[in-house]
Amino acid sequence: MSDYCLNVCHLYPDVLNLYGDTGNIICLKNRMEWRGIHCDVSNLSVGDELHAGDHDFFFIGGGQDFEQEVLLKDADENKKDDILAAIDDEKVFLAICGGYQILGKYYKTWDGKQYDFLGALDLYTVGSETRMIGNYMYTCDALDGDTIVGFENHSGKTYLGEKCVPIGKVLSGSGNNGEDGTEGCHYKNVFGCYTHGPCLPKNPAFCDMLIETALRRKYGDSISLADFPELDDTFEKNAHEYMTARLSKANADDPSR
Amino acid sequence: MRSLAEISKQRKQRMKVRAFIAITACKFTHWLLRVMGRGATQLPGRVANKIYPDLLGYLARDVRTIIVTGTNGKTTTSRILEETLREAGISFFENKSGANLLNGITAIFIENCTATGKPKKNTALIESDEAAFKKVGKYTDPELVLVTNVFRDQLDRYGEVTHTLNNIKTGIQNSPHAVVCLNADCSLTASLKDDIDNKVIFYGVNEPIYKHRVREESDAPYCIHCKHEYEYEYITYGHLGKYYCPNCGYSRPDPDVAVSRVFISDADHSEIEIEAAGERFKALINLPGGYNIYNGISAVAVAYALGLDVKTAVGALSNFECGFGRMEKFMLGQAAARMILIKNPAGCNQVLNFLSNISEESIFVVCLNDNYADGRDISWIWDVDFEVLAGLQDRLSLIYLSGIRADEIAMRFKYAGIDPSKIKVQKDYGKLVDAISGQDRAVYIMPTYTAMMDLRALISKRFGYKNFWE
Repeated sequence: MSDYCLNVCHLYPDVLNLYGDTGNIICLKNRMEWRGIHCDVSNLSVGDELHAGDHDFFFIGGGQDFEQEVLLKDADENKKDDILAAIDDEKVFLAICGGYQILGKYYKTWDGKQYDFLGALDLYTVGSETRMIGNYMYTCDALDGDTIVGFENHSGKTYLGEKCVPIGKVLSGSGNNGEDGTEGCHYKNVFGCYTHGPCLPKNPAFCDMLIETALRRKYGDSISLADFPELDDTFEKNAHEYMTARLSKANADDPSR
Repeated sequence: MRSLAEISKQRKQRMKVRAFIAITACKFTHWLLRVMGRGATQLPGRVANKIYPDLLGYLARDVRTIIVTGTNGKTTTSRILEETLREAGISFFENKSGANLLNGITAIFIENCTATGKPKKNTALIESDEAAFKKVGKYTDPELVLVTNVFRDQLDRYGEVTHTLNNIKTGIQNSPHAVVCLNADCSLTASLKDDIDNKVIFYGVNEPIYKHRVREESDAPYCIHCKHEYEYEYITYGHLGKYYCPNCGYSRPDPDVAVSRVFISDADHSEIEIEAAGERFKALINLPGGYNIYNGISAVAVAYALGLDVKTAVGALSNFECGFGRMEKFMLGQAAARMILIKNPAGCNQVLNFLSNISEESIFVVCLNDNYADGRDISWIWDVDFEVLAGLQDRLSLIYLSGIRADEIAMRFKYAGIDPSKIKVQKDYGKLVDAISGQDRAVYIMPTYTAMMDLRALISKRFGYKNFWE
């Protein structure tokens, strides 16, 4: 093992634990350790105090509405200030679905009730009565337009403000809101999106970009993952390419999609 | 002007004619599909319900219906109940091949009736999908409803666990005459009692089952009433166990029918003691795994609630035949294969609990499809503790991955810490069965629902096993 180490904070793993999102942690940890990079994962949940300085990488997954309500109060009381500070300090965040929405300003249900969220990102979400659900794919600007594939399952439509940009453009599926063709949000080193599946294992380039960003932030810009042992990504590529091919074919068969 | 009585008589006559047409159309479609050599679980019922939407209500009016619903264990529990009813001398019909949606259930009732809609047998044992139960309950007006448990299931179809729970609640509210058997150890299921007026029988397991359990997330960590975190005196598996909420006081109700002791729970069977109606019975459950202890005790609870002899019900636990794809045994050439359906994290983790107790060298096969009936979202495989298999690699000679999403499940095993050289992707079922049947060791095949259908069709063709609908 090298002396490099990233401290990963998994926020609310027992509450926001749907749709295999914890697979992102499994993926991060393995892809670091296969390269000889230490990876310490801390699980922080309701009641735990967050100290932004202790962590280099933050992960927040999606959850059930019932359980999401449990943590809103806790996030506001115990974690909000440190989350805002960590984002400002350019720490790396990956937030999926419910976790993505919570970093935004608010959520308005379809019948008009408004829940205030953390306001860390310039975006808001409006509930709709139809669910956006299915395999989907989009480009990632931070990966020079490479594709990200996954499974989306949300009824909230997310709209971005001026202070952040989308991760990329939807090639198949709905993305942020099914209207403007965008998916996800990128602000400083925060990436938020609707990508379950889970996101990282079958998008190894995206995972590695996040790891590299966190390493550079901590150890300086000269560090590159290319200097670490190369990984055999055959399984990952097969899983990724299976889905890009399937969605491209579906698009070609039905151009109206 | 016609009199009201005349109109009513005419309407009844019209209903009868419509029912007759619907029944005939259904029976004909069914016959046609069989002649064509196809399994017929959905289409005939769909045809009938199109013609006469309330047909099930019409057919079920003189039938005493027992409904089994809940996330996991429906099929196995129904098989145990089948044995119980048989041994109790009750003549009944059932939906055997996993046709548990409204159309499939309607078709089974049609199969059981004469051309004019008279039932041939007067008791129905019906396994019902949780969402379909709302209507199935309303139409059949059941005498008994068993709720096995509520776990998170295919989220793209069922939504969140609270949504599933609400479906079941509505189903029970639509079944006002039913005695309801609820799993006391499932905090979600047991909470149903507060919202229903029915008579309730609780069943449960009074002590822990496993010494070592897989790492698994609870599907219900927070109190259903006040959202405070539960505390547990013990956990049997998943979120099942003796829970209580330190905030509002909600706690596991005392079961009326209980597993009072677990003596042995190994790779073949379990030996337990059952307490019901003030009596204790030693029992043997003819299937491995803690979840089958629950299937067993829930079946005994049903017998108790129906007023059947509890001793007969206990005896049935060791006599019943395995459900379709539930630890079913096959010989594939030289290989002794068991087929175990997987469909959600809780069920799959229980299969792993069982597999980690096996001492012989074996081959695993996982077939992952993402058709509608499997759940289109396959991300749940990352909520399963496949990591536990990394510690068993000396006993695990190979893992074959197949099905539509074979690449994804192969990748999952790599990330679980399995040596990549043991991970073989074989998407062609023919070649997969060739590879398996050449082995002289135990093979455990874990398919999702539609993968199981495809595999079984191939296996029955090649090795002469009967078709599933027979």
